[in-house]
Amino acid sequence: MDNLFNPETIFGIIGMAVTLAMPYLYAAIGELFDQTAGCYNLGTEGIMMMGAFSAFYVVYETGNLGFGVLAAAIVGLLMGLIMAVISVTFKAEQGISGIGLTMFGVGLSSLLFKTLLNGTVLSVKGFKSIRIPILGDIPYIGDAFFNHNIMVYVAYLLIPIASIILYKTTLGLKIRAVGQNPQAADTLGVSVNKIRYLCVCGGAILAGIAGATFSIANINMFQEKMTNGTGYIAVALVYFSGWKPWRVLLGALLFSFVNALQLRMQVLGINIPSDIAMMMPYLLTIVTLIFVKSRDKPAALAVPYERSEN
Amino acid sequence: MAEKRITYPKSDHIKKLQMIDITKRFPGVLANDRVNLEVNEGEILALLGENGAGKSTLMKQLYGLYTPDSGQILINGKEVVFHSPTDAINAGIGMIHQHFMLVSNLTVVENVALGLKSSRAPFLDLKVVERRMMDICDTYNLKLDPKRYIWELAVGEQQRVEIVKALYRGADLLILDEPTAVLTPQEVDEFFVILKKMAEAMHSLIFISHKLNEVIEISDRVTVLRDGCSVGSVKNENITKTDLAEKMVGRPVVLQYDRSPLNRREVRLKVEDLYVPNDWDEDKVCGVSLEIHGGEILGLAGVSGNGQRELAQALSGLRAASKGKIYLDGVDVTKAAPYEHNLAGQSYIPEERNKEGIIKDFVITENFILEDHDKEPYSKNSIFNFKNIDRETQRAVDAFAVKTPNLKTMVKNLSGGNVQKLILARELSRKPRVLIAAQPTRGVDIGASEYIHLRLLEQRDLGMATLLISEDLDEIRALSDRIAVIFDGRIVGIVDGPSATSEMLGLMMAGVPLEEAQQKK
Amino acid sequence: MLKKNSIVVLFIIAILAMAALPVAAADDVFQVAMIMPSKINDYSFSQSMYEALKVLESTFPEGGFELVYSEDMFNVADAREAIRDYADMGYDLVIAHGSQYGTSLQEIAPDYPETAFAWGNGTEFYGQPNISVYQARAEQGGYVFGQVAAKYTNNGKLGVCGPVESGDAKTYIDGFKNGASEAGSPVSVTYTSSFSDVSLMSAAAQTHMDEGATLLTGTSQSIPGAVSVVKENNGIWMGVQWDTIPLAPENVLVSLVYDWSPILNDIVSNMKEGSFGGRAYDLTFKDGGLKFVWNTENMEIDPELIAMADDLAAKITAGEISPLPAQ
Repeated sequence: MDNLFNPETIFGIIGMAVTLAMPYLYAAIGELFDQTAGCYNLGTEGIMMMGAFSAFYVVYETGNLGFGVLAAAIVGLLMGLIMAVISVTFKAEQGISGIGLTMFGVGLSSLLFKTLLNGTVLSVKGFKSIRIPILGDIPYIGDAFFNHNIMVYVAYLLIPIASIILYKTTLGLKIRAVGQNPQAADTLGVSVNKIRYLCVCGGAILAGIAGATFSIANINMFQEKMTNGTGYIAVALVYFSGWKPWRVLLGALLFSFVNALQLRMQVLGINIPSDIAMMMPYLLTIVTLIFVKSRDKPAALAVPYERSEN
Repeated sequence: MAEKRITYPKSDHIKKLQMIDITKRFPGVLANDRVNLEVNEGEILALLGENGAGKSTLMKQLYGLYTPDSGQILINGKEVVFHSPTDAINAGIGMIHQHFMLVSNLTVVENVALGLKSSRAPFLDLKVVERRMMDICDTYNLKLDPKRYIWELAVGEQQRVEIVKALYRGADLLILDEPTAVLTPQEVDEFFVILKKMAEAMHSLIFISHKLNEVIEISDRVTVLRDGCSVGSVKNENITKTDLAEKMVGRPVVLQYDRSPLNRREVRLKVEDLYVPNDWDEDKVCGVSLEIHGGEILGLAGVSGNGQRELAQALSGLRAASKGKIYLDGVDVTKAAPYEHNLAGQSYIPEERNKEGIIKDFVITENFILEDHDKEPYSKNSIFNFKNIDRETQRAVDAFAVKTPNLKTMVKNLSGGNVQKLILARELSRKPRVLIAAQPTRGVDIGASEYIHLRLLEQRDLGMATLLISEDLDEIRALSDRIAVIFDGRIVGIVDGPSATSEMLGLMMAGVPLEEAQQKK
Repeated sequence: MLKKNSIVVLFIIAILAMAALPVAAADDVFQVAMIMPSKINDYSFSQSMYEALKVLESTFPEGGFELVYSEDMFNVADAREAIRDYADMGYDLVIAHGSQYGTSLQEIAPDYPETAFAWGNGTEFYGQPNISVYQARAEQGGYVFGQVAAKYTNNGKLGVCGPVESGDAKTYIDGFKNGASEAGSPVSVTYTSSFSDVSLMSAAAQTHMDEGATLLTGTSQSIPGAVSVVKENNGIWMGVQWDTIPLAPENVLVSLVYDWSPILNDIVSNMKEGSFGGRAYDLTFKDGGLKFVWNTENMEIDPELIAMADDLAAKITAGEISPLPAQ
């Protein structure tokens, strides 16, 4: 156990957690906007897979990482539009349509992978780490926090940005109102559908980028189903957060930290059965979910809005 | 920061609003049939009618939530068409809905700012909104703390938020949908002062109500709707309650009940030092003790949100008490499940009848047998006996005058009054010894209320112990043998029913102890 | 309501349509069907069998061999249906290429005595005359790689990225650990409890390298995640099951390749003689089933190292070395 408690190891674990949390942050902040507006998008996983593939493919063909992120965002937007049409315009059951979208996204990304890239595992040059001047030179802390690629930094910037949008802007006020009491918002001339479209599509763009982080900002390759359930964990993180951006950060870091910790413990030969180790992050998530009790749960979550109710 | 650029696309001041021959049809229902209505600036118009008479539908068309099938809306003689609330708001119309349109996890000022253009868009200008809002509050003497969350506010305060919201948006004409339903008598008085002030400031007010004395007290003119038609518009001069009631219901109505003398029997329901938490584990009932005898109606008066809901749920087994005891006929039922309460001879008429009392998508017969479906005569060995079910349901539906096309009608298609009569029929036909009746006539029209009241009195005479929880003081005073007043989860005092004045009860409902309330009287 | 449901239904139909593969069968052709848990290009277990079947195909005349396969049959219930369908359609040889398919074969094989079934990794043919069972003795390769890795890194730290603690992944890793520690290198092992979690696999590899390992190895179809980390950090990778050199030509020292051709050839020739199974095969160094593919094209590799590996393999075959520690 001693070899676990030296600063190098601990900050090594933290640094890895910081990277591992990146896709969760993009996907969960996107889902946070969806859910705050009262929509529940279980299609995140599928959107992420499509984002992962399109970003990879574009970077593989053009070598331009910016285009890759853009492609993931556009594909995310399109998938979001599908979700919005189904759940907002047609008012379909959101859980089922989300799962449908996930199956669609995962299936289509595999199909494209086979047709466009022959199903061959290839790699690209992804985003390079940037050491932030001065801060990056602080011993241990610099490596753990300030030596990552740009996509990681942006992921963390999303937290204050989301917080400002939700709590400091008129748009955020409308979003919160629409998720809590769409009727009230409607009577004040807020277009419930417009806000929900915006949030579902915006959330899907972030989910697309979350997928891109797998294929061009971390592992830098594409393989079928490579997001491996991250989208669902992101949905759980939103519940965990009690619909607060800062707590999304906390949840994502905690989850990633436990993951990084258990890998490190395995490497250090600290004897815990690997299956137990793997369960730790999920167990932790479930246990915390039991204790989440929030007045901020959007009261109209997953409830389609229809004006004609008396 | 100066008061800058909070601009509203302000139209002309509304001097006269007319609705002419408005007709609105919903599938199967003619909700408004060539209705006419007129209101002038500085005038308070009462729109009177029973539930389902078409008042709300008419007003929702004025507010742009529905569009009329035919007919015209004229402002200052010019025709206007509203496609959405925004159009109505821009024309200077505001509406305060019966169910408040407030977002409970936003603050007061956030609710006011919702949907407004910001002076520093895209960011919120809550400071500016707050300042202007407080100006309005000062002008009309509305007390509000802009920083508090809606869920922290009492109902009366929430209503003030609604008024401020409408005034902030520059409403000239304000539609108030049953605004007094949720207020204490004192709050109603304060509220009327506000209304008069607004009328003096040349606002037009449309006041929807079915409470006759309030209508007579506050309005300049009364328009009565019945079954979707306007049956008359009269100046408020020398009209009597009886006249109005007859116009509204279409037949003469009894407004005062003759009660037989109290025949008190043994204690049926006993509550000892009861504490009940709400969903957030905060005690909403704090040490309530009550005794209810057979043959008596104990009225529990209080402003909503003072623990009545939690108390009723605890007494019916739906919510666990954190401390204290409940005895039913001397047996400890504190931890009993709802069905055990049923078996012990207790019935419950829940406050939220659509959520807790019935299953909306079930038909009448199914709802009627919900509690006893697994017992004879409704079923035997888990097989339903539909003949018996239909016969018993029919008998109850006839006995309680539930108006329905047939027994296979889904309950969601019944009016509120008929749903309540159905629940009452179900609960009373079980011949309970104890009845917990929470808001039994809320949202129920006069005709049905009268009926429900008479049945409750009839059961009282037969020896049933009734706890009547109501926010309607008239109802409490008309029915109760004793009246307990609840405030902040505690019983402020218990007074004799017939001798209690509404003034005294009102003070107690605001938390003034019994002795003090008596002195003030 | 109708509209909403029909959209969901359309989705499902669209996805099902993608999965459907109509197959027609002819009689004078040798027809082989393969069911596998991952994909034919997974750079590991499934690919090794697929490539061996391609080799087998080349021994048949043009048009005399037909190969069909079902990928992603991770779900045993689905796989069972697929196996039965292929048998039903009259395929000559049905290969259930996954250790989880054993009980399905035990159930199905008696119903189709005219069909030959093969199953691996497994150890038992359930007394069925039409089941052949094959097993890769991965520990043999693991032991040699452990020794090689220790020598190559001068007894440096080694890291192993495993998926689930069972099957040939575990025997390979146990052999590797044994070989490396006998040669004096410390080994750390991670299991991610998933065959497919690429992201976690790459995190595991990163953790090994953070702790000072310069040479990594591992199995499962999620290893591309680990290889990509090795590449970024200029480490060394040793591949198992199939040739991983294309994943990182500069970083893969050697791959242990499973060559199922000798076993397949034996099964096919037995079939021609009318024997449809009842045999158990081990994939070992002995008959060339386990092979080294050295990356001599891109890397300078000490010939002594290669000689050492061959020598160890021979000693294992001769029974002079036991690749797993004594129990």
